[in-house]
Amino acid sequence: MSNIIEIILKRVGTLFATLLIMSFIIFILVEIMPGDVAQMILGQSATEESLAALREVKGLNEPLLTRYWKWISQAVQGDLGESLYMKGVAINSILWRRVGHSLVLAATAFLIFVPLSIFFGVLAGVREKKFSDSLISFFGLATMALPEFVSGILLITVFAVKLDVLPIVSVIPIGETLWQNLNILILPALSITFVMFGYVSRMQRSSVINVMNSDYIRSAILKGMSKRYVIFRHALKNALLPTITIIGMNMGWLFGGLVVVETLFGYPGMGSLLMTAIRTRDLPLIQACVLLITVIYSLSTMITDILYNYLNPLIRFEGEGV
Amino acid sequence: MRRISIMLILFICGFSLLFAGGEKESISGVKTIRIAEQVPGLITPGVWDGQAFSMNSSIYEYLIEIDSNSGELVPLLAKSWGTDDGTNWTFNLREGVKFHDGSAFNSEDVKYTIERTLDPSIGHLKRPDFEIVDYVEIVDEYTITVHLKEARPTFDYQFTDYNMAILSSSYDYDTFGESKPMGTGPYKMVQYIPKESAVLEKNRDYWDTSVAPIERLLIYFIADIDASVSMLEDDRVDVVPFVTPAIRKRLESFENVTVISPYQEQRFIAMRADKAPFDDNNVRLAFKYAMDPHIISRSVAQSELGKDTNYNETPIMNMLVEYKERPLRERDIHKAKELLTKAGYPNGVTVDLYYSSDHPFETDLAQTLKELSAPAGFVLNLKGYTRDIFLSQYWLNVPMSITGWGGRPDPSMLLALAFKTGGSWNETHMSDSYVDNLIEKISNEVDFEKRLSYYHDLQDYFYENGALINFQVPLYIAINNRVINYSHPLSMIPQYKYMDIK
Repeated sequence: MSNIIEIILKRVGTLFATLLIMSFIIFILVEIMPGDVAQMILGQSATEESLAALREVKGLNEPLLTRYWKWISQAVQGDLGESLYMKGVAINSILWRRVGHSLVLAATAFLIFVPLSIFFGVLAGVREKKFSDSLISFFGLATMALPEFVSGILLITVFAVKLDVLPIVSVIPIGETLWQNLNILILPALSITFVMFGYVSRMQRSSVINVMNSDYIRSAILKGMSKRYVIFRHALKNALLPTITIIGMNMGWLFGGLVVVETLFGYPGMGSLLMTAIRTRDLPLIQACVLLITVIYSLSTMITDILYNYLNPLIRFEGEGV
Repeated sequence: MRRISIMLILFICGFSLLFAGGEKESISGVKTIRIAEQVPGLITPGVWDGQAFSMNSSIYEYLIEIDSNSGELVPLLAKSWGTDDGTNWTFNLREGVKFHDGSAFNSEDVKYTIERTLDPSIGHLKRPDFEIVDYVEIVDEYTITVHLKEARPTFDYQFTDYNMAILSSSYDYDTFGESKPMGTGPYKMVQYIPKESAVLEKNRDYWDTSVAPIERLLIYFIADIDASVSMLEDDRVDVVPFVTPAIRKRLESFENVTVISPYQEQRFIAMRADKAPFDDNNVRLAFKYAMDPHIISRSVAQSELGKDTNYNETPIMNMLVEYKERPLRERDIHKAKELLTKAGYPNGVTVDLYYSSDHPFETDLAQTLKELSAPAGFVLNLKGYTRDIFLSQYWLNVPMSITGWGGRPDPSMLLALAFKTGGSWNETHMSDSYVDNLIEKISNEVDFEKRLSYYHDLQDYFYENGALINFQVPLYIAINNRVINYSHPLSMIPQYKYMDIK
């Protein structure tokens, strides 16, 4: 157990160091991004004088390091600053609502794709080289190859246009909440499922095949245990380890990488907010979004790592004489 | 295994049931228009370049507005106005008008609004046009006189510009302008979720009780135009501005949706006249002879020339009374080649063409220009950048560019800035005393007929010597057929107070 605590402490330390370095890289990358928020706001009618005045008002004329220090010291205290594009509008007031929406979408997608992928992955694994295996593998490959915007449009065409059973866009009607409109989550979540299903089910399949061919499983079967019992009591536990890693590694993407899906469906999450921020060159908002995505990525990787270590008996019991 | 399968099926069914139902937005019997805006913000008037027009134009109000049918000036916060010789302008203001915070509107507010344009710390976009103001005199609480340094017989048009919304002299726009906007307009903002949505409600204290039959404007900020159009198709919004020609075609099959084009915008194809190769008028003429306006219209706007588009070689839009009608130049590749040879380019000439790749119509226009001009010997290298990069890094310093210009109800507003020697937006770098003189006369001449003759002279000159092609493209707005009296004049300010629903 002490080994696990040591691993956790190490990972947390690495996480903070990573975030600090990343915050600087994010800041620099966003700052050197081509484009000019003042020009974006003022458009073609801008004069040199009006551009200079707006840059001054927005604090864009201060030295880079001064701005980084201001930004990171405020961010550590939970203040992500003001939107450049909309004076007087705090980023905290925009961001967290969107983060909440993205979390709900990510959780919905997670609830759909994880059981589906594991179930069909196991099914394909235990029925290796049979028709059902080929069918699941083909479907997995096909959905994996489809970009989100293609699968999204397909889903919209079938469920929203042809069958008319789901809304065509995932916008929350003004005056209502997400909880009153949970059906808007289905199509974007399915679109994400399309992408994830292929990865996870194929990983699960090969993992099951590997485990099923191992000596201890063969021994269990030779002892006369039923195949179902062997699969669920012995094989699945070990076969899930690589799958957990893959799912964990993709949690960051699931949360922060939904730009295409959210934009396509008009879903008011963090991905579409990031897209809008980039379009309007709203630098503090871009920085806040990317920093948050980095935190999620780092955290999910760390948790996956710890979970993997915990679930893997070889590591868990290392140092305890086993 | 069977147990697992049953559990999985139950899970999926339960999940589907959880999310079923409640699909359509409820509109609770209140007359409402729902709008999908692409630009997610609200900018204080003065530094506003077309952001969320529906919101700004409904909250704020102007001294004068433009009648969307006749194009004439109509009194708004100014009941009447007049000038002696174009130098001193007196405005009689409407009494009994209140700002949304309850304060009364009067001369002080107009004076503040005009003087604010000249404040260098704001960087007001109308400053170049208002630098001609000598001083503003408050005659009484509801009368104001603007004294100009020299005559401007069409100065009143400046007050129709979308950046000239009348602001309260006692409100802190620096702090609240972009989060809690406040004007005298027919609608008040009651809810605002930045970058997501806004709710405007009818201003019960609005001075004109005969307008604003709509009770609520619901504004969604949807960055993606396709998602906006999907909302329109699904009856979740009623108005989607800035749709593309391809989307217009797609919407033709929808019975409940109409795409209208309330006015046109301009795309200037500017040739830099002070540097090779366009410093030689023969090269400029060669390029013009290589063009085919009909092909440009079909290729760029998917529309026949004259229907939703127009084309000429002057800075004046075809729809304006100042425009001088003349036949289109016939495409003549042989002549274009001859002119290029005469200019010293017998083997053709290579030019970099810069444009905003994310601004409507410009990429297609650039590609069409490249293909049309190639047979004459022009090799255009297309240099497309996002609009902010194009404007901040390249515009005004490149041999050839495509730029978007909104229509000006009074074309003189643009001439001095864009075509006079030293003008701040002189992208063609034309410097011609004849043109300068004509622009000066246009700006100062009080007599309309005389002014019109100067406009015609200017256009004749541009046709033969100008460094400009003016392709006019439609502003397409998709609306649900329930929306009636859609009103949107050339000043680019949609007038939601006149709109209603069936």
